[in-house]
Order: sequence, then C-alpha cells, then structure tokens
Amino acid sequence: MSVSEKPRFIAQESLIGTRVTKMDAPEKIEGKTRYIHDISLPGQLHAKILRSGRVHARILSIDTRAARALPGVHAVITAADVPDQRPIGVVRDHLPLKGDRVRSLRDEIAAVAADTEEIAAQALSLIEVEYEDLPLLANPEDSQKPGAPVLHDDHPDNVAMRFEYSHGDVRAGEAESDVVLEDTFKLHYVTHCCMGVSGIIVEFDASGSLLMYSNTQVPFLHKREFADYLGMDPSRVRIIQPPIGGGFGSKLDIYPFEVICVFLARAAKRPVKLLFTREEEFLASPTRQPVLLTLRSGCKKDGTLTFRQVHTLHDNGAYTSWGATTPFVMMQTFSSLYRVPHCDYHTVAVYTNNPYAGSFRGYGNLQATFAIEQHMDMMAEAIGMEPLEFRLKNAQDAGEVTGQGMSFKSCGFKECLTTAAARSDYSRKRRENLEQRQSGGPVKRGIGMASMLHVGGGAKIYPSDGCGTILKLDDFAHVTLITGASEIGQGSETVLSQLVCEELGLPMSAVTVVNNDTAITPWDVGVHASRTTFIAGNSAIGAAKKAKVKILAAAAKKLECAEADLDLRGGWVIRAASGEALLDLPRLLRSLHFSDKAELVMTTFYYEPPSVHQDKAFKGDVSAAYAWATQVVEVEVDTETGIVRMNRVTAAHDVGRVLNRLGIEGQIEGGVVMGQGYALTENLLVEMGVMKNPNFRDYKLVTAPEIPEMDISFIESMDGEGPQGAKGVGEAPAICVAAATANAIYNATGVRMFDLPFTPERVYRALAGKSEKLCWKPE
Amino acid sequence: MTEIERYYAPASLEQAVDCLQEAGGVTVLAGGTDLMPQKNAGRLKPQRTLMNIRGIAELRGVELSGGEIRIGALTTITDLLENPLVRQHLPQLIEACNHFASDQIRNVATLGGNICNASPAGDTLVPLLVLDARVDLVSRPEGRMLRRGLPVAEFFVGPGKTRKAPTELLAGVTIPLPPENYLGRFFKFGTRPALDIATISIGFGGILEGGVLSRVRVAFGAVAATPVRASHTEAALEGRPLTEATIAAAAAAARDEVTPIDDVRASAWYRKELIHNMTKRILDHVAHA
Ligand SMILES: Cc1cc2nc3c(=O)[nH]c(=O)nc-3n(C[C@H](O)[C@H](O)[C@H](O)COP(=O)(O)OP(=O)(O)OC[C@H]3O[C@@H](n4cnc5c(N)ncnc54)[C@H](O)[C@@H]3O)c2cc1C
Repeated sequence: MSVSEKPRFIAQESLIGTRVTKMDAPEKIEGKTRYIHDISLPGQLHAKILRSGRVHARILSIDTRAARALPGVHAVITAADVPDQRPIGVVRDHLPLKGDRVRSLRDEIAAVAADTEEIAAQALSLIEVEYEDLPLLANPEDSQKPGAPVLHDDHPDNVAMRFEYSHGDVRAGEAESDVVLEDTFKLHYVTHCCMGVSGIIVEFDASGSLLMYSNTQVPFLHKREFADYLGMDPSRVRIIQPPIGGGFGSKLDIYPFEVICVFLARAAKRPVKLLFTREEEFLASPTRQPVLLTLRSGCKKDGTLTFRQVHTLHDNGAYTSWGATTPFVMMQTFSSLYRVPHCDYHTVAVYTNNPYAGSFRGYGNLQATFAIEQHMDMMAEAIGMEPLEFRLKNAQDAGEVTGQGMSFKSCGFKECLTTAAARSDYSRKRRENLEQRQSGGPVKRGIGMASMLHVGGGAKIYPSDGCGTILKLDDFAHVTLITGASEIGQGSETVLSQLVCEELGLPMSAVTVVNNDTAITPWDVGVHASRTTFIAGNSAIGAAKKAKVKILAAAAKKLECAEADLDLRGGWVIRAASGEALLDLPRLLRSLHFSDKAELVMTTFYYEPPSVHQDKAFKGDVSAAYAWATQVVEVEVDTETGIVRMNRVTAAHDVGRVLNRLGIEGQIEGGVVMGQGYALTENLLVEMGVMKNPNFRDYKLVTAPEIPEMDISFIESMDGEGPQGAKGVGEAPAICVAAATANAIYNATGVRMFDLPFTPERVYRALAGKSEKLCWKPE
Repeated sequence: MTEIERYYAPASLEQAVDCLQEAGGVTVLAGGTDLMPQKNAGRLKPQRTLMNIRGIAELRGVELSGGEIRIGALTTITDLLENPLVRQHLPQLIEACNHFASDQIRNVATLGGNICNASPAGDTLVPLLVLDARVDLVSRPEGRMLRRGLPVAEFFVGPGKTRKAPTELLAGVTIPLPPENYLGRFFKFGTRPALDIATISIGFGGILEGGVLSRVRVAFGAVAATPVRASHTEAALEGRPLTEATIAAAAAAARDEVTPIDDVRASAWYRKELIHNMTKRILDHVAHA
C-alpha cells in the first residue's frame, strides 16, 4: 500500500456481503492463466498410457520390444518392470499397472515416455498384448447371484463396502403409519467434465526429492500417500498445484496415471508430463455413483412422518475410490433432513466391470434427495396435504438434535421453504398446472420443489478437519496470506482475502495469496465437503486477529493510549470511537521493522472445528454447521417429443451469511446448471462395461441457451461458529434440481419417473407408458 | 496410416479437376469440419495428395439466373444465412442453417462438404431434397471439362457414399426458384438448440391454394441410410384439402415409410414416433399459416 494523504475520519465500511470480483478472473478471461498444459520442465518427456480396451480379461502376454526399439522412446513400463508397485485406493484394491488381469475398459497395461506425444502414441501402437476374455459382470444386481464372476479374489462376494445405520425402530414406525410407500429409484452415470483434463508432471530433482505438478484437490493427503507408496521420507515429496481447470470431487483420489508417471520419471531419469485426451478423460476419470435405491416411507394422516427404510446398491465399478463412501452423506439425508423418528439405512457397494465411480459434488446427496423428495410429494398427495405444508410440518428447526446425532445450531430450513415457495408462487402454479393437465395443447407446464441438507461446517472424516494459515505483513502493509486451502476455481482465495481484509481494515488490493505449494503452505485436509470457506475462513480470521492484536499493541504504545481505544480501518490506525485517523499502517509497520527491537508482523493459526468423528454406528455431530436449501423448478414438457425445458429455478439457500455476493451467486448458478445436466441431459451410456458416448457430441452438457432463469435468495441464519456467520455452500446448489424436476414433471403430466435422466426419449416412453420400470401412475 | 505426401491448393476449378484426374489418391479438403474429426478418430485415411479447394473463388457464392438459384459448393453455412436470395426464396434451407452446429463451425463448414459427406443426418440435405435441387459435378477427362447434373435424390447411396466419381468435384447445386406462394418448412429434432446432430429431421415444401395442397415435397433425415424423399407421405397430401383427416393420414404414412435404426442417440421406435408427431405438427402449422 502506498502512503496516502492523511484523511481526518474514516467511515466504517464492510467488505462482507459485497460483490467482489474473483481475484483470478481477469487473467482467466484474458487467457493468461498458465494451467498444467502450459508448463514444461527442461528436458521433459511426454507420457502415454496403453489401456486394455477389454472389459474383463486375463493378460496372456505383453510384448513391448518394438516399442522400446522406437527412436525417441526413453522408457516403456509394464507391471513386470515395476515389481515394487502396490495397490492404491481407499481399500488398496487397485494396482496401477495391471499384470495378469484387466477388470475394466480403462485398465492400464503399459506406459511410454518419449520425446514427443506423437512418438509416445506410436510406441503404444507397437505394443502387443494377448488377452483371454473372462465372463463379465456388467449388472450390479447380478453381483450377488451364485456363480457370478468374482472380480477380486479377496472379495469373493463382490462386495467392496457395506454400510448399516439405524435409529429408532422402523417396524414400530410402520405399525403406526396411515400411509406406506415403497419405490425403487435408479440413478445413472454422469461424469465431472472438468474443462481442464487430468494431468501431472513429475520430476525427481538433483537431490532425489520428488516434485509433482498436480491438479489434486488434496495436496497434503497426496503427499503422505505418495511418500508412503514410494517408501520415501514425506518431507522429500513436494506438490505444486498449477491453477486447476475444475475439480468437483474428481481429484480426491490417487489415480493410476499419477503413480505411473512417477514410475516413468524414475525409469527415464527425466521429468515426465502426462495429460489425458478428452476421450481418456471420459474413459478413465471417475463418474458419479450409479445407485439402485429402494425407499420405504410412511406417515400419519395428520402429516407426521413415521419411518424411513432404505436399501441401496451402489455400482463401484472395478475398483474402490473414496466415492464408495458416499453413504456417509446419503444416510444423513434420510435420517435428518426431516424429523423422522425411525430410520434404517443399508448400502452394499459392489464390484462390477463398469467404470470406476468416484466422488462428485454432492457426494451421494443428489441420489438420496432424488428419492426422498419424490416420496415427500407422493405422501403429501396420499394424505391430501399441500406438499409445502407437509414439508413445513416435518422440517427441522434450530436446536434439534437428530437421531443420527447431528446438532442444528443454526437452521434456516423453514425459511428456505417459505421463501422459495413464495417467490415462485409455488402453490398457485401447482394447482393451476394440475387443472390444465387434461386440457390445452401438447406442451404441459409443471412446478416442483425439493429441499436438501448438507454439511456446511466441514466434515470430520479424518482425525482432523483443520486448516492452517500463515499471515505475513510487509512494511507497506501488504499482506501475504499463506493458506493450506486449495483454489480449484471455487473462489476460495478471494473469500479468504476478504475475511483477512475485513479484520485488518485493508483493501482487497493489499493481499497476495499463496496456496499451491506443500513446501510453503500449512497443513489442510483438502477441498471437499463444502468446507473451505468455513474451515480455512475461520483459520484466516484467526491469523488476522492475532496480527491485529500485534499491530494495535504497537500503535497503542506509540500513541500512548489503550489498545481497546484503537482499531484498523482503510489502511489506518483509527480511534475506535470516532473513526479519527491516527497513524497510517504502512508507516507504523515500517517503523516496527526498522526499530532497534525490530519486529515483523507475522502470525500463524490453526483452526479445528468443534465437530466430532462419527462412532461405529455412524452417529455423531460430524460437522460444525449444516446448510439447507429449497429449490423450485418450473418446466414445460412437450408430450409429443418428451423434451423437458427448464424455464425457471427459484432457489433459497441458508448460507449462514453471504460473504462474497458475486461469488456465491456464481456458485449457486453453476451448481444449478450441474444439477440440470444430471436431471435432463447428461448420461454416460455404459453397455456391458463399454462406454458408448465418451465425447461431448453424444454426452450432452447443458449449453447456454438451455440454462433457466434463476431467482436466488439467501437466508442468513448467522451461524455462531461460521466465519462472519457463513456456512459452506459448494455442493448444495446441485443437490435438489433432479428431485424438484421429477416433481415438476409429475405436476405437468401426472407421470412419475423414478429413473434418471429425463432425456427426451426416456420421458416420451414414460408418458407413452412404454416402460413399466420408468413410470408410475397413480391409481 | 497413410502419409500425406503432397499438399495442393489450386486457384481454379480446372486445376482442381486436373489434379483429381491425374494424381489419383486425392483427399479433397473444404472446411475440414468433417474431415478433421474423421481423421483424428481414425475413421478416414488421408490419401497421398491433400487438395485444399478453398482458394477456388468461383465455387463460392449464390446467384439467380434463368429461374434457378445456383449455390457454389464452397459457400459456407454463414454465407447462406446472410444471403438475401436464400433468405427470401429458400426458407427451409435457412431454417436448417439456423440449427446447424455453432457459429464457429458455420463460419467454415461448406454446403459442398455437407453434401459430399452424405451423412443421413446432414442438415442441409433434407431441404435440398424438398427443393428439387440438382448437384453439379465436374471432371476433366482427356483435358476437356465435363459437367453432369444429378437430382440430389439420386446422389446419395448410403452413409458417406454418393454417386460422385473419384475424378469428380462437386461444383455446386442448382435449385429451381420456388413460386411466390410457396410454403417451406424444416424441423430438426435435437435435444438442444444448437450443436446437436439431428435425431430426425423433416423437410416440407408445397403450395396451398384454396385449402388444397399441390407440388408437395416431404423428406426425412436420420431415419434411413440416406436422407430420403417420402413418397407415400407426399401421396397422402398431394391434391388433397389439408384437413385433420388428411394430416392424420399423412403422419401415419410418414411413420410407416421410414426405416430408422437404434443408435446411441435414439431408438428406431422413438424416431418413428417423432416422425409421426412432428410431421403432424408441421402440417398443423401449415394448415393454420
Ligand atoms: C462441432 C461440429 C458440429 C457439427 N454440427 C453439424 C450440424 O449441426 N449439422 C450438420 O449437418 N453437420 C454438422 N457437422 C458436420 C460438418 O460441419 C458439416 O457436414 C459440414 O458441412 C462439412 O463441410 P466442410 O466444408 O467442413 O467439409 P470437409 O470436412 O472439408 O469435407 C467433407 C467431405 O466432403 C468432401 N468434399 C468437400 N467438398 C467437396 C467438393 N466440393 N467436391 C468433392 N468433395 C468434397 C471431402 O473430401 C470430405 O470427404 C458438425 C461438425 C462439427 C465438427
């Protein structure tokens, strides 16, 4: 900051709730950002991976002689060349290079490092592999049948994970129910479609330390895992994250390509860069979990919920990723979105020869909400109650502790419901649409609502859920904010800077953020669970508060007054009571640096949220705060084509408090569009383990003209633990859209669809009653 | 993989057809929006000579003479959309161009490329069928320019296959000027407004006088191995009053005469349903126009 002319008084201004442009927006818009694609290390080689192209087969032989002989090739590796490789993944079931058997189309057989990508590709084409096909397991429902092919010998039942949860006594709940519903919902494959494809650059430096340029969302977990994997001292593993072209959960795991690139760099003794092609990104990056979900719910005539019983079958794919633990989140929705006295939840995640499902924004909650919110509408209809009223009757309130042990200190759920309903004119439109179902032309209008509960104050999945901050003020009163929290496009560096500036009375231009190098930044568990603003924000505030204490102490000494009389504002030390400018901050800091007892203003802080680890029965207050939302979706269904147009989405989100209004609106809009794609257009077609549409021509992301009009409201419940009262919002906006759309289609047409997605042909078939499984008609 | 040995960019039609005649093994490159993806996907092997025809000025543009509209093969989709003659006289073609790819693709994709690529889902082909267009093919055997014309309806043989000989270049298409009271319609069903391959498409043309239809042309895309004229549907409409019963009969005839397949985009059953429902919708609109 430059020294400015001394103003007499400085008025109080807050950055909180204002519209702050993302710090990286100008460079991204101008195309100046250097992504991993733009980085080259001196002497760098280019890697490519040979994938099986078989769904399930034994490998009989691999002949790499011709590839090795090709000029320009520096390393060719197969399982035989890396005898020290061990399985990776949450349950250590995934060998990076497959030696004897492949279990899915994407499986890695060999890898090449060469002078150019073209040479690497040519070398791959020279590798000859002989296979013997094995019987395949394509349908998760077949995995438990006697005689089903066994994918992993140490899992003879093909079960990767099981989850069992319960509170209350569902049988007692069912006995006192007036209405009981049971339906099966089928959720499909979608994938993240990050604009930046997966990639990594690996180098062993002169001292033998491992340096990785990586797009990971979890740098510190990665660092530990790689060290452990390679038998290295973790302090000799360093991860630098170039600007990341999208994450959405796809970068939570260690993947074979990363380990393979390390092997190649080791073998070639040169830096090696590996980037996926778009087709490879479809084939070999993770997907959202396909789930078959049977929900049994009940209520009394007066609208009180009585019980809920859930059985889900998850298609893990051939290996297990973090995504297999989505039931952690799903069971929260079933047990605690509404007050439900009795609840049972059972998941079996099974192996198949299908794509490998991972974690994805919303983490199981889109699937759970899809089922539960349709049943809410159906039960309301069964007892003749308005869907809104039925929800309000069962909605959680602040102060509630749920059967699962989640404690809702702040809760704006009912306000979300009433706000979204009022702003969309939900009840009137719903009634009018019902009246017009039978009359009028082929295009029917529908309106539907859905709500969600998601962690909003981190999630204690690891022993710690904390994040560290280092704050450094220089002699010009410029702040360097060094945070463990990664920026993956969500706008974390902007919001963290805002929080620091708010404490220190500085403008946004006074901050530089360092957040992408494990050699510099303090520890953090990564970007997941909508935790960054909450956790890293509290951490940044903690460090800023400490810095403020130091500064005010020095100023008080200089001014010979009490610290409590002073404050920081607009780059000045001011008199707290009047706003009178007393000392300009750059000069004060410089005088501190240059005094005989020189002192630098530098602080560290580590924030650990007051949440607890769940016990073995999955009970406990796992997050320091919880986020709520209601979304109302309005559609037009063309009954002659099956096209569903989403015209308008009215969203009301309990976000605790709005910090960066521009950022949070962008987050909601982006999330809604992701939810829209899940509901209406995106569908990764997998037949007998083979992906049919690994390209943007046939895998349909929502395009600009399809995006609905949006009306977004923020419910500010001012969470007591949140940074300035805020809660997490990263995943929330994607969660309700599909469920609300299902309810809207029903409102328009009288046809219930339990299977996603609502692509035109599937909707048309359901309307035509062509598929028993697809549709449900009320008697 | 065949290596491209020679790149040639002729400045005139004569030079281009000379090259086709003499060199043998020539890949013709226009906008490249079909060629490049096909090559990258390994579905097309480039020949020894790559001939870029985009420098041939005489192959680009639209003109009206002798009651016919002539469109050069190198005319881009954007050119068509901006051309006053096309806008005034060929409404189906404009409608097709309006649903064609994205701006970036439209700026380079040519009409000739769309025709020669001969995809059953090629968007301009259905309007050309309905408009009774003829393709103009040029070759140069023994040093003399040979031109032959062929109705588009006879040009397509199968997916990616046409009656064009390897020595022939497509110079353009000729379309008889539709009369004043001509009605033209085009409908493309894609799942989104832009950047989509037609699940089905429908072209309609005709004259409605005193409630009676004449000179009826109907064509469908993406429901057979080539874009097709729908003779039964046309017969159900020709010379008849456009009543509800006529429309129902025509829509039923349409559903019965198409022979679509199942693929990743749609099932054959759904395509037939769409043909039925949308033929009906178009005719309803015509009846109320
Ligand atoms: C992203 C994308 C979206 C698309 N969307 C659509 C769409 O919505 N609708 C649609 O119909 N198509 C679409 N296409 C396909 C393509 O753009 C069109 O078919 C286009 O008209 C092809 O023209 P071109 O000039 O690029 O042809 P090229 O790719 O240059 O050539 C295509 C074929 O025709 C041959 N050829 C070209 N000109 C001549 C000539 N004058 N004489 C002889 N042979 C010739 C070439 O040798 C080649 O075999 C899309 C393509 C892409 C990449």
